[in-house]
Amino acid sequence: MIGFLQPLVLFGLVAVALPPLLHLIGRRLPPTVVFPAVRYLTATEREHSRRLKLRNLILLLLRMAVILFVVLAAARPVARVASGTGHPPTAIALVLDNSLSSGAVVGGRRVLDVLAERARHVLERATEQDQIWIVLADGLPRRVGRAEALELVDSVTPWPVRLDVSETVRIAARAVEDAPLSVREVVVLSDLQETALSAGEPSAVPVLLWDPPQVPENRGIDSAYVEPPVWSPSGEVIVRLGGAFGAEAALRLEADGRELAGAVAGSGEVAVLSATAAERGWLPARLALDPDELNADDQWFLALRVADPAATRLERGVGSFVREAAAVLRQGGRIRSGDEVTLADRPVAGTTVLFPPEDPAMVGAVNRALAARGVEWRLGELVDGEWVVAGDAGAARGAPILRRYRLLGSGPVVARAGGEPWLVRAGDVVIVASRMEVEWTGLPVSAAFVPFLDLLVNRLAAGESWVLGATPGQTVRLPAAARSVLVAGEELAVQGGAVVAPLDPGVYFLRAAAGDTVGALEVNHDRRESRLAPAAPTAVRATLGPEANVLGDRAMDRELFQGARRADLAAILLAAAIAAALLEFALASVGGAARRV
Amino acid sequence: MAQRVTNRVDLLDPYEVAQLGGIELAARGVVEGFLAGLHRSPFRGFSVEFAEHRPYQPGDELRYLDWKILARADRLFVKQYEEETNLRSMVVLDVSRSMDWVGGERRLTKLEYAKRLVAALALVLLRQRDATGLIAFDERVRSVVRARARHQHWWQLLAALGELEAGQGTVAEPALRQVTALLRRRGLVIFVSDLLLDKDLALLALQHLRHRGHQVMVFHIMDPAELSLEGPPEARFEDPETGGAIVARPRELRGVYEETVQRTIDEWRSSCRGGGIDYHHVLTDTPFGYVLRRAAASRSRLG
Repeated sequence: MIGFLQPLVLFGLVAVALPPLLHLIGRRLPPTVVFPAVRYLTATEREHSRRLKLRNLILLLLRMAVILFVVLAAARPVARVASGTGHPPTAIALVLDNSLSSGAVVGGRRVLDVLAERARHVLERATEQDQIWIVLADGLPRRVGRAEALELVDSVTPWPVRLDVSETVRIAARAVEDAPLSVREVVVLSDLQETALSAGEPSAVPVLLWDPPQVPENRGIDSAYVEPPVWSPSGEVIVRLGGAFGAEAALRLEADGRELAGAVAGSGEVAVLSATAAERGWLPARLALDPDELNADDQWFLALRVADPAATRLERGVGSFVREAAAVLRQGGRIRSGDEVTLADRPVAGTTVLFPPEDPAMVGAVNRALAARGVEWRLGELVDGEWVVAGDAGAARGAPILRRYRLLGSGPVVARAGGEPWLVRAGDVVIVASRMEVEWTGLPVSAAFVPFLDLLVNRLAAGESWVLGATPGQTVRLPAAARSVLVAGEELAVQGGAVVAPLDPGVYFLRAAAGDTVGALEVNHDRRESRLAPAAPTAVRATLGPEANVLGDRAMDRELFQGARRADLAAILLAAAIAAALLEFALASVGGAARRV
Repeated sequence: MAQRVTNRVDLLDPYEVAQLGGIELAARGVVEGFLAGLHRSPFRGFSVEFAEHRPYQPGDELRYLDWKILARADRLFVKQYEEETNLRSMVVLDVSRSMDWVGGERRLTKLEYAKRLVAALALVLLRQRDATGLIAFDERVRSVVRARARHQHWWQLLAALGELEAGQGTVAEPALRQVTALLRRRGLVIFVSDLLLDKDLALLALQHLRHRGHQVMVFHIMDPAELSLEGPPEARFEDPETGGAIVARPRELRGVYEETVQRTIDEWRSSCRGGGIDYHHVLTDTPFGYVLRRAAASRSRLG
């Protein structure tokens, strides 16, 4: 019985019609040559027409045969040549995709269960002479025996991580390449998402990819973030839904065991959920979407930081624009009157947001006061020019700056103008290099001014905090203040300034040395895992090379263990094509000089 | 190894000879060169009836030298015989459309080549004081110049040759019949054609001339490009005379075409030989001197 590994190539058989078509097209309107000895030509044609027609017919058939053989060879025909299960000792790496998407349910069965069943089928054909590697979604090749491999496959569950199939295949190929066996192959059992492929070196080892089961349409949460970063006590959560699912679904924001807000949205839409927190401090929150066939991407974990509005006092020298913006913030409940934060043109006791003094003669006194408080920054030369604000300046990013003091010193810089420090924080002092007046900056007359002042008071002055996002298993660099991560009630010390994000999605708080919470790590799924559309076989070969073949059940059975039970007919067909081409060439050449006397 | 270079016009490439000047200059050059290489008259009669003496000319056979006059008067005279003196020759030239064809660069058309060959032949004959005439034909007789032996007659022949243009088809019988009328006594008929005509009819007419006692020479003119079949991968080959055409692929037919041409030439040669006709296959890149020499040699054998 003959089958084809690349049956789509058989469409190329229409090319067999090319020689007769070219023959017919070529017969039209040949050029005219005046030739007196036409009577000799006529006599020749009359005498040899039968032989010439036969020769031309043979040439035509040979040309068609060449194309036919080449196309058939390209379709990779294979024939079953023997029965039984014997095969040469093989180094086989089995990539079992238990990434997040493998949790999707198709026809009442989980995709991973279907893949695992196929994996067992492969392993049951393995022998003790084979060397087996199992590669799961973590991308680590595990050298196991046949029994151990079967146990691993039986126990595997979907992990909330992403699997890069292309990279994993390359890792698996490297593992089997080192094996002291002559037959090597990589078998991939995956849902073969289009998003799971990545560019890279083609595999030198034959790769057999099982044609994945049909997957349902899916909808999931692509991203979510909190605005503003510190709620006092109200705020919003902005959510983007992804996937390809027509109907809308309900979305809920839950925290502290109760639902804070809800909305209805569909795939590709952005939903804004407004809520007010009852508690103060750090709150773990969860966004939940109506479940579909893939549940793992229907939730998203967030850290809410809720604090009272900063108690703020203004000194006269800050200018009228700051005073008016502060009045707006006070009216909106974003700040309240008090002494926690002072907006001033000179360093005062307590937390201070310092603007430069209107009178340049006061700069010396300001610098002396800063030095007395142990702040390393100083107001330097007054410069005029045109710059824009860059860095973590919130709404003020991109605002024009016309005049500023050069900030001299060292320490963390929050924002820069013209590449030089413009907004810095040193302890409980926040220094802005420009006065908030129109001669100094366009900020006071822009819509960004009030949110910028909110940022100065409620985030920078009232206390810095960090909210970091990561996918499960991703290495995350943490701020220097974070000394440990709270995981399942236990504090895990941070080593080397980075941690590996836990595999379980959730909110993990960062603790400072004194035990204060200084931030949070939000671990959520990789949105690429939500895209369940499978990759086309051509895309698979484009990234993994020509040795990669996407195969159905029967073709996979044939090809496993280097096709121990089948013969590849491509070489025979190519040889036949070459023979036909040589015969055609010989006949055409000999015909031109045939029977020369 | 040094290449041998000749300055003899009769051995030059016909195209180069044609560049020297008109038919007259070319023919003169060819004949001078040709005669310089001979020791006896190339075309002679076959009677032995003495007629008169004439002064010796280079190329005359020494056996006809009158030794008695030489001994008495110390002057060279040769004896002429009745038939030799009265040899009448008629050149029958094919000027059909197929003769006006050339198959490559730096070659003469078959007609231009034939004109120069005829002029040279006529000059050789007239120098022997043989009367020489000309009949040109295509599908009918186009021009007739009666045979004369005067030396100035050559200019009349040249003028007639110069006026000849290529005509249409080829039918040789009327022209050959007219030869019978013009040559009442036995003479020499020189038939110059590409022989793209009805072979059986033409052979019949030529054999009729032979039966009438005439010597017959056939010069079969061909362009070298007619020996083989060249051209685009597929072409419509059109006969310039009939307009008939055939679509063929040269690469496929080349071998058998060459075979057919060779067989046709062989058939002409054997048919002519069987009828006592002197046949010469002439390619238009053959120096005129070679052709004259070959013709003279075969005349010697026949004579």
